[in-house]
Amino acid sequence: MADNLPSEFDVVVIGTGLPESIIAAACSRSGQRVLHVDSRSYYGGNWASFSFSGLLSWLKEHQENSDIVNECPPWQEKILENEEAIALSRKDKTIQHVEVFCYARYEKYLFTINYVHDFLFTCLQKKPAVRIYMALVATSLLDMLKIDLVTKLLYSRGLLIDLLIKSNVSRYAEFKNITRILAFREGRVEQVPCSRADVFNSKQLTMVEKRMLMKFLTFCMEYEEHPDEYKAYEEITFYEYLKTQKLTPNLQYFVLHSIAMTSETASSTIDGLRATKNFLHCLGRYGNTPFLFPLYGQGELPQCFCRMCAVFGGIYCLRHLVQCLVVDKESGKCKAVIDQFGQRIISKHFLVEDSYFSENTCSHVQYRQISRAVLITDRSVLKTDSDQQISILTVPAEEPGAFAVRVIELCSSTMTCMKGTYLVHLTCTSSKTAREDLEPVVQKLFTPYTEKEIENEEVEKPRLLWALYFNMRDSSDVSRNSYNDLPSNVYVCSGPDCALGNDNAVKQAEALFQQICPNEDFCPPPPNPEDIILDGDSLQPEASESSAIPEANSETPRESANLRNPEEPSE
Amino acid sequence: MDEDVLTTLKILIIGESGVGKSSLLLRFTDDTFDPELAATIGVDFKVKTISVDGNKAKLAIWDTAGQERFRTLTPSYYRGAQGVILVYDVTRRDTFVKLDNWLNELETYCTRNDIVNMLVGNKIDKENREVDRNEGLKFARKHSMLFIEASAKTCDGVQCAFEELVEKIIQTPGLWESENQNKGVKLTHREEGQGGGACGGYCSVL
Repeated sequence: MADNLPSEFDVVVIGTGLPESIIAAACSRSGQRVLHVDSRSYYGGNWASFSFSGLLSWLKEHQENSDIVNECPPWQEKILENEEAIALSRKDKTIQHVEVFCYARYEKYLFTINYVHDFLFTCLQKKPAVRIYMALVATSLLDMLKIDLVTKLLYSRGLLIDLLIKSNVSRYAEFKNITRILAFREGRVEQVPCSRADVFNSKQLTMVEKRMLMKFLTFCMEYEEHPDEYKAYEEITFYEYLKTQKLTPNLQYFVLHSIAMTSETASSTIDGLRATKNFLHCLGRYGNTPFLFPLYGQGELPQCFCRMCAVFGGIYCLRHLVQCLVVDKESGKCKAVIDQFGQRIISKHFLVEDSYFSENTCSHVQYRQISRAVLITDRSVLKTDSDQQISILTVPAEEPGAFAVRVIELCSSTMTCMKGTYLVHLTCTSSKTAREDLEPVVQKLFTPYTEKEIENEEVEKPRLLWALYFNMRDSSDVSRNSYNDLPSNVYVCSGPDCALGNDNAVKQAEALFQQICPNEDFCPPPPNPEDIILDGDSLQPEASESSAIPEANSETPRESANLRNPEEPSE
Repeated sequence: MDEDVLTTLKILIIGESGVGKSSLLLRFTDDTFDPELAATIGVDFKVKTISVDGNKAKLAIWDTAGQERFRTLTPSYYRGAQGVILVYDVTRRDTFVKLDNWLNELETYCTRNDIVNMLVGNKIDKENREVDRNEGLKFARKHSMLFIEASAKTCDGVQCAFEELVEKIIQTPGLWESENQNKGVKLTHREEGQGGGACGGYCSVL
């Protein structure tokens, strides 16, 4: 590290997950001096997306129990008499029960590189708990993979989309529409018709059903204006309410699980109507479904906000450990941090992501868990003419006490997997370990790859080439008061929650930003660099005349949705 | 989009802190030079159109936003770039030695392998040169990069560096012609309505 860090800031942000990154961007944009650090070597914390080799190092870190303790000068001696220290954790304990399975060794999938071999070998020797059925052999092509630790979608009218547009951070990212909403019913995967046109063209619905569904969805769009139609049902669940409506069981199922995305027991009538309206409201803004997915994976989003922070002067340091927070005994406020080099960095506000707190600080905190599975498969769960479908499927819980499983299937146009394969993400609230929670669903939808089957008669289910299971800590619902002894100028950010959208991260970021910078605007749009386009041919300054009006002039009628600068290079 | 603009290109400027990346950028786009330019703040990217061999190209040239200072450029910075300007300071050998790291980083994060690289030795106006022109040339040849020495201060070689880079990109049609094949959605204030109208057709207002 050539440069020394400055020793004074206004805000120190520890952790580069989505909420932290949004706050860092907002503070930097408001003129605060921001230091943004992460002890990891990558951006995003538990919001990151990994290439295959990146994932392997991540696995190593979480499977081997070796404490990667850097040699840090002891901080204890740097604490003065009138100070106390809150030691931070050195090891991430948010990931548990990691299991990797590999089924394919098939040349078509080009899994042929030695490091994967070596890695798996080490796992076999060192960690019998890691069950590996076959050695995975991979090429660097695998590095096209972008494996999200959490997979979320953006509601096309959700808070995150609004924020991205408002702050112009949207210029750093591109998205793909989710193309299909799927449902799993009676052992079969089928497409759910959403938009009016979909319903109209649907072959699986009868004429009568189409009319019923149209009528019901149109009502949901403006249900608030007709309280008399649902008032009587406010006390019951949405599931019960749907039964009272003129809907066939087929339609009730679609509305409950695929549109409102809730379960038989989870939502009241009002919650269900609200969710349905929200879904419909988001339809058609960017495509046929309410959702967008970021190209190259969810991990891009924190980075986009980090760039915004850096553009306004925020300083970035990865692989940078903060050893402790220094608290002034008299005022009870945090005044500095001490980093891995023993450097004392003074600041006014300290934002710390939950996983950085030590067990001492979190001893009373109750965490929930998220169960995750990531699969690589050879075909889509529902084949159509196009192999470039991006789908979301909700599989309802089978037994009471379990949770519905959300399945997101990504194709290669999302730039997260290789052509000819699909990357499938499963997510649910944990009741057991990730594999126990999710394997039943995996078995329903997929069949493990075996070499023998190759020229067998039509295999119906997609074949599973590779699978990863793990549990992630969900700190989203933790009240600040459950952490022990936090000074008032230390703010806590949570890791990812289990919800489909990103609203929780945005809400959290905005609330904390308002505490740090009261009365400041949250991420106002920065001046647009494209407002100044210089014409190389005529070097006179008035060249700006031809260019200062990009908004009105330069938008081609049918260019994809571009904020101000449609010609900005895009992948 | 201007009718006569052939293509829009994303160009990155990378290299160690203090080698003059922002100065090169500002010299090229605004024809200004500020010897006191502090560490990069507020420069995101700049846009300029240039003509090369009668072809007009619009360049969006992205600065590092200072994130390279502690080796923490975001991988997303590299996405979709067609050209890279890799800068070192001819008066600081350490910035030349670190070029290998930058090439590694490029290889790791660039989404395509036919991307055009240009090596620029900056600050040739200064007298205390530590890196010989031939060394730069040799390094560039070894890694199949274009090479030029320049000075953002005196303007030497700056225009040329960008022109040559663009020329080479345009000579590599696969690099910019395929741009529309996998276009993602860019977010906008405007309503798209391509998916059967806003609200999927259920909105009674529309």
